[in-house]
Amino acid sequence: MKKSKERSIFITICVAPAVILFIIFMLIPTFNVFKMSLYKWGGYSNNKEFVGLNNFKILSEDTNFFRSFQNTVLLIVCVTIVTMALSLIFAAILSREKIKGQNFFRIIFYIPNILSVVVISAIFSAIYDPNSGLLNSVIGIFRSSEKTPILWLGDQKLVIYSLVIAMIWQAIGYYMVMYMASMASVPESLYESANLEGAGKVQQFFSITLPLIWTNVRTTLTFFVISSINLSFLIVKALTNGGPDGATEVFLSYMYKQAYTNSSYGYGMAIGVVVFLFSFGLSALINFVTRREPLEF
Amino acid sequence: MKSKKVVSSLLAGTMVVSLFTGCGAQDASLQLAPDTNTAADTTPADTTPAEQTPAENTANADTTPTYEEQTLKVAAFEGGYGADMWSEVVAAFEASHPGVTVELTVDKKLEDVISPAMKAGDYPDVVHLATGREAALTETLTKEKALLPLTDVLEMTVPGESVKVKDKIIPGFLDTLATNPYGDGVTYYAPMFYSPCGLFYNAGLFTEKGWDVPTTWEEMWALGDKAAEEGIALFTYPTTGYFDAFTYATLSSAGGSDFFNSCMTYEDGIWESDNATKVFELIGQLAQYTEGTTVANANNDNFTKNQQLILDNKAIFCPNGTWLPGEMADAPRADGFEWGFMAIPAVNAGGSGCSFCWFEQMWIPAAAQNQDMAKEFVAYMYSDEAAAIFAKSTAIQPITGVSDSLEGDNKMFYSIYDNGATAVMGGFASTAPVEGVNMLDTLCGTVNSIVSGDKTVAEWQAAVEEASDKLRAAME
Repeated sequence: MKKSKERSIFITICVAPAVILFIIFMLIPTFNVFKMSLYKWGGYSNNKEFVGLNNFKILSEDTNFFRSFQNTVLLIVCVTIVTMALSLIFAAILSREKIKGQNFFRIIFYIPNILSVVVISAIFSAIYDPNSGLLNSVIGIFRSSEKTPILWLGDQKLVIYSLVIAMIWQAIGYYMVMYMASMASVPESLYESANLEGAGKVQQFFSITLPLIWTNVRTTLTFFVISSINLSFLIVKALTNGGPDGATEVFLSYMYKQAYTNSSYGYGMAIGVVVFLFSFGLSALINFVTRREPLEF
Repeated sequence: MKSKKVVSSLLAGTMVVSLFTGCGAQDASLQLAPDTNTAADTTPADTTPAEQTPAENTANADTTPTYEEQTLKVAAFEGGYGADMWSEVVAAFEASHPGVTVELTVDKKLEDVISPAMKAGDYPDVVHLATGREAALTETLTKEKALLPLTDVLEMTVPGESVKVKDKIIPGFLDTLATNPYGDGVTYYAPMFYSPCGLFYNAGLFTEKGWDVPTTWEEMWALGDKAAEEGIALFTYPTTGYFDAFTYATLSSAGGSDFFNSCMTYEDGIWESDNATKVFELIGQLAQYTEGTTVANANNDNFTKNQQLILDNKAIFCPNGTWLPGEMADAPRADGFEWGFMAIPAVNAGGSGCSFCWFEQMWIPAAAQNQDMAKEFVAYMYSDEAAAIFAKSTAIQPITGVSDSLEGDNKMFYSIYDNGATAVMGGFASTAPVEGVNMLDTLCGTVNSIVSGDKTVAEWQAAVEEASDKLRAAME
């Protein structure tokens, strides 16, 4: 009896640091976000006015918010699909095939992930430069120079895809390394027997590799949702600042603009609540939809 | 086995305790604070941090006054003029105010430096930070009614001189929405360094081509067509943010200063009036003469590429303020390049050109601890001594006669009003925050869509009127 009491005290002390940190830095701020979304407040003074759900009512009629919502969803969908496909392919090639300079490619693909977002946006604003940029120079070979240059960051229909490209470039290496790690644990014998049975590389990939790393793929899907929301803010902030005329405004950049530039802190927090619920809901949905019986090997 | 458990428990306990040291350190620093601020805070004579009243100051103005030992916290934005002038001015202030120690914070991103402490209730006593910045700290405090009225500062005698502050400031600077943000005649922002905004161009290009500098919009369009044949665009802009000065000036030119003030105070239907329509259509036409790649570079990363178009003779005019030549000082340029600067041509035929006069502001937060000395500091900014220090860095205050000391290009820029251009000052009146509505974004940001053809001028005008309606409701 005494022993078990001692034991629970010991466990309590061991767990306490993490729990306290979690409460101070996660629970309380999250609770505050929810609480502040019910107030009209500029962020500095003590004049907080309780307005109930009014912020959410305004939000439901705010076309600029819907545009940022659309942009964010577009980014999540495009970035997730393309990045996942490409990094799965690269991971499969790098871990299954014997090619020269394997490690070199592994490093090259991973490098963008080490760079800070500000550096990435500087690189891409050089690439997208209408007159002297890399992209337009290459395209210029096939295109008459009489035509006006393509404005990657100026054309409102194009600019969001320019961001998609930058984000994919940034993310591929990271997910590739994650997929490679789990592919490494797939037993070689399965591939050997598949070879004997006469299965091709593609069939091996879809019938052996993909099902066996499925749990890993599921985890990364949640990462995709979270990181697309977060990274898009950083890239938008550094590359376009939401422009031209709000065409690249995303969730968090709009929230930032409202909370700080527009002195509507409470409204910004209401957007925060929507983002919170949206990313939580989406992750849960993805988790539910992709649930499979885990394969043992 | 048991001893191992004891050791682990101790270690875990230490971790828990160490968690609280973060909180503990703050207490410790609070206790330390008086010592680090000024040793004299603990002297018996000291009762309140600022016992000195303005009246006493002015009475002692001629003899060297003595002050209670105290600390004044000054936060200043480091703009294009550099940070050195602030240290110099502060040193001069301390020399003329024995006993006062100034704690100076100067930073290019001042909002990021001071706002965390402000949220925790620790406010600077004096802040030099203009409106119209992206973080909008000044606007936020204005909307929150967290500024101190400066009416009595204007009545104060400038330290060390026998003139009142309000009599030193150039007439007109204190009657604008950029100093009286609520439009009720009460001054909350002290006008600091001003800069005329207008159109910059390469004067060398005009000489080379034998063109005349246009003085009306008719001549402007004619020049645009002529230049287009040579592959030169008429117009470019760094970012749409620069359209505030441009629209303010053209609005005032189109309908006069009363009309301009009606626009700034969101009068019903004002943005759909004939005068406003003229301005929208003017910008709509200008958009057609705008250099093709401008929109793609009109962001924080690349705006200098648009400014470079002027230096490379790819575009003729660019709206900007007098800091532009300094900003582009190291940039390569076409042969024979020479800065030219002109007011924005009159919107109505026969009218005079106009130039928006942009100025930075200094203010005192209502939550400032040392308000009396803060007021003294603001008054000191208008002394000849301080003005001379600022003028050395070409930071020109609206004090009569200060701009006379300028030389070269700067003299030309500041003489714009002497050459017949009307000065336009002000900005949108402060309202309670309206969620999701940002007037400057609607008015200026949309210019990108007009240039790229994504929105029509009529849609733009309607959106501005709609924003104006919503903001009018929030005015008090």
